[in-house]
Amino acid sequence: MSSKTLEEEIVETLKNTFPDFVVDAKVQRKKRVLVTVKKDNIVDVARFLKEKLEFDHIASVSGVDYPDKNEFLVVYHVWSIPKKVLVALKTSVPRDNPHLPSLIPIWEGANYYERETWEMFGIIFEGHPNLSRFLLPEDWDRGYPFRKDFKLRTKPE
Amino acid sequence: MGIEMMIESFVNFLVNLLLSKPFMEMLTKVIIFPGLMFPLLFVVFAVWFERKLLAKVHLRIGPLHVGPGPLGGLFQLIADALKLLQKEIIVPYRAHKILYNILPLIMPMLSLITIAFIPVIPFPSAGPTNHLVIFYTPYSLLVVLALFALRPFLVIGVGWASGSKYTTMGALRAAYQLLAYEVPIMLSVASVVMVTGSFDLVKIVESQSNLWFILLLPIGFIVFFVSMMAELGRRPFDIPHAEQEVVYGWATEFTGVHYVCVMMAEYVDLCVVSTLITLLFLGGWLGPVLPPVVWFFIKFGIVVVLIIMGRGVYPRLRIDQLLNAGWRILIPLALIQIFLVFFLAKFTPWLLPITV
Amino acid sequence: MSIMRVRWGPQHPVSGQWAFWLDVDGDIVVNMEPDIGYTHRGIEKIAENRTYIQNIPVVERTSVFDAGNIVFGYVEAVEELMGIEVPERAKFIRTIVGEMSRISSHLYGLCLLAIATGFETMLMWFVNDRELFLDLLEMLTGARITYSFFIPGGVQRDLPQGFYDETMRRLDYFEQRLKDYWKMFYLNRTFITRTQGVGVLKREDAIRLGVVGPNLRASGVEADVRKDEPYAAYDQVDFIVPTEKDGDAYARGAVRFHEMEQSISIIRQALKRMPDGKIRVKVPVAPSVPKGEAYSRVESARGELGYYIISEGGNKPYRVKISAPSFRNLPAMPFLAKNVPMADIPTIYLSLDLIPLDVDR
Repeated sequence: MSSKTLEEEIVETLKNTFPDFVVDAKVQRKKRVLVTVKKDNIVDVARFLKEKLEFDHIASVSGVDYPDKNEFLVVYHVWSIPKKVLVALKTSVPRDNPHLPSLIPIWEGANYYERETWEMFGIIFEGHPNLSRFLLPEDWDRGYPFRKDFKLRTKPE
Repeated sequence: MGIEMMIESFVNFLVNLLLSKPFMEMLTKVIIFPGLMFPLLFVVFAVWFERKLLAKVHLRIGPLHVGPGPLGGLFQLIADALKLLQKEIIVPYRAHKILYNILPLIMPMLSLITIAFIPVIPFPSAGPTNHLVIFYTPYSLLVVLALFALRPFLVIGVGWASGSKYTTMGALRAAYQLLAYEVPIMLSVASVVMVTGSFDLVKIVESQSNLWFILLLPIGFIVFFVSMMAELGRRPFDIPHAEQEVVYGWATEFTGVHYVCVMMAEYVDLCVVSTLITLLFLGGWLGPVLPPVVWFFIKFGIVVVLIIMGRGVYPRLRIDQLLNAGWRILIPLALIQIFLVFFLAKFTPWLLPITV
Repeated sequence: MSIMRVRWGPQHPVSGQWAFWLDVDGDIVVNMEPDIGYTHRGIEKIAENRTYIQNIPVVERTSVFDAGNIVFGYVEAVEELMGIEVPERAKFIRTIVGEMSRISSHLYGLCLLAIATGFETMLMWFVNDRELFLDLLEMLTGARITYSFFIPGGVQRDLPQGFYDETMRRLDYFEQRLKDYWKMFYLNRTFITRTQGVGVLKREDAIRLGVVGPNLRASGVEADVRKDEPYAAYDQVDFIVPTEKDGDAYARGAVRFHEMEQSISIIRQALKRMPDGKIRVKVPVAPSVPKGEAYSRVESARGELGYYIISEGGNKPYRVKISAPSFRNLPAMPFLAKNVPMADIPTIYLSLDLIPLDVDR
């Protein structure tokens, strides 16, 4: 029986604990674990990651726009300081109804990331205390800039 | 013929008056030294010296071009002042028009008036005590300190009259600082007065002919020096000016001639304070061999350099740390000094110049 | 008592290019809200319309003062996507440039701390010493600040003649200066009074808020990407990661100071152990990158920098997400700015070394 690496152990624990929720979990390379979950269960998986598997240091929250699949992909990257492994927690939300529970109760540092993702993509994080203008000017009314169908200005106005 | 003679006799009278000894002496006192020219030339020289000294401390060069060769930059202040004097005076919308325009002009006047009471060097047959002083009074020290105590009120007035909340906040903080450090000044001066027995600056200097007060009353010297640096608003006590939180503090809104007046008041104060320290603790113009003028300027120069160096060496203290230092540290030290004077009077009366 | 809402806007001597809203009660700040976005350029969106190599100058502008390490993360991610391995010599050169960039960024960050406490001498001396390293970088890369020196596959140029001797000379001089600086600035009573006990960030709060870099290490957490996940030549040089326990502004300044000392040692070791060989692997100008995703982590001067690049084939990235260190340190600012005297706000802010360019991207 070969000894498993830390990343493989993490993947196995996740698959055993959440057999239905976790859509996919695999080791991408050394120190990188990818986990894809359904959006309704993201809070439970996230809590398990933080409390039992010690993933405590949030690294980034990104949104990715896939207009051809009609979904947004929201990716939470979290680093574990004791274990020294990065997990990418992915979930997808439908593009025409992008609602997702906010993970601020679990990782408080996600506050500003989620606010920025809302501002740039239009993904609404339920339970976020303050989804308001952050990076864009206060009188911005041209939509959500990072979506693929956002018209970039080619001539100065 | 009659008219010509009258004109000629009038001209003779004028020439005799102008060349007479009392008039020449008054001219020297009031216009040249310690009168008008001395603080104004000091301001020009001190600004240049401060900028150059700080530049050397900071490993850079400082002003270089406007002025004679090796003393490059000496006339930079004059160039700056000329530029500032021709700027448009902008009165803020919410400012109190009369106070905003008048108070900054009063500030250098107050500082210059203080010079009128300070004797600088002995000058044979000049004035009632043979010293070069514009207005002699046996209570000169008291008058000088009283004039100093008016500064916080001007600062508050200026800060409020500028009409913006930043300046008001800055002026109140400046006033806290200035009022807090008044008390250590008075107490440390009290120890000097107790030792000499008079408020007369001339007598204070003369009673140091055996022993300078810096050696007799070292704690008093330190308290006085530090408190005066705080009164001037010099780093490390420069909360009133140049603080990063409220732009330029209580004088933010001033441009043009008002700004020149405020800056001038600051440096004339430096001149007055350095003179006071020299007279009170360093023995004024006393010293062997060299003439009194030279001694006066050497001591004066050392004090000025020490005060200016404080800016290069220390960061700025926070307002509550500053007030802490004033109320809780300096006042007890000054009181200790006063008690020490009592002990000296009891056990070593031969050290004290006063004869009980 | 009435609470006054004061805005330290972008035009303020100490705020940098962002604004804070402070709720002030007398002299005490009760609440602080950041107002960022004044330098937002949409770099992540721009990067989707340019090829991978064209993105290098774009991405570099994210954080101008630390340009070496910013591009480091990007090329690491692209190389992971393309599956290419960088030659050894290029790894060592990258390490050297990264460390010099770290030193110049720390010198700048510490002189900002000096401004906060009103310490002009410290400011002038540190900025003066930055010139030592900017000259070396100019000798090597041709530019002083934004050099665009790393490309996927290696570095652009080899070390010039005389670089070794010149660098050693300057490092000796700088090391001597650092010893003087410690005595003059960090043991200066007034500086200690101004910074000790100010803005104390405890260990649990630092991890919870997601703080990175020297700020995290000053709170007692030993987390440094160069040790946790070594990249380039960091596993072949010996160095320690300085940490402090107190978590106040003085500790953060001290951590940056000690990191500079360690950087000098790293540069010396890298120069001595540099192997010969090629400096880059041949990569086409508009490389076609296979489908995939990569997250690369790099220790920039301000903290850990993360690049998340998704490629759907083709020669332009599909999504580039930059997880900038100052953005990650941003939550610490409102957290620390509760119930402090207003004079401490610049000290707290500038000891966290937040650069608005990083925050806004």
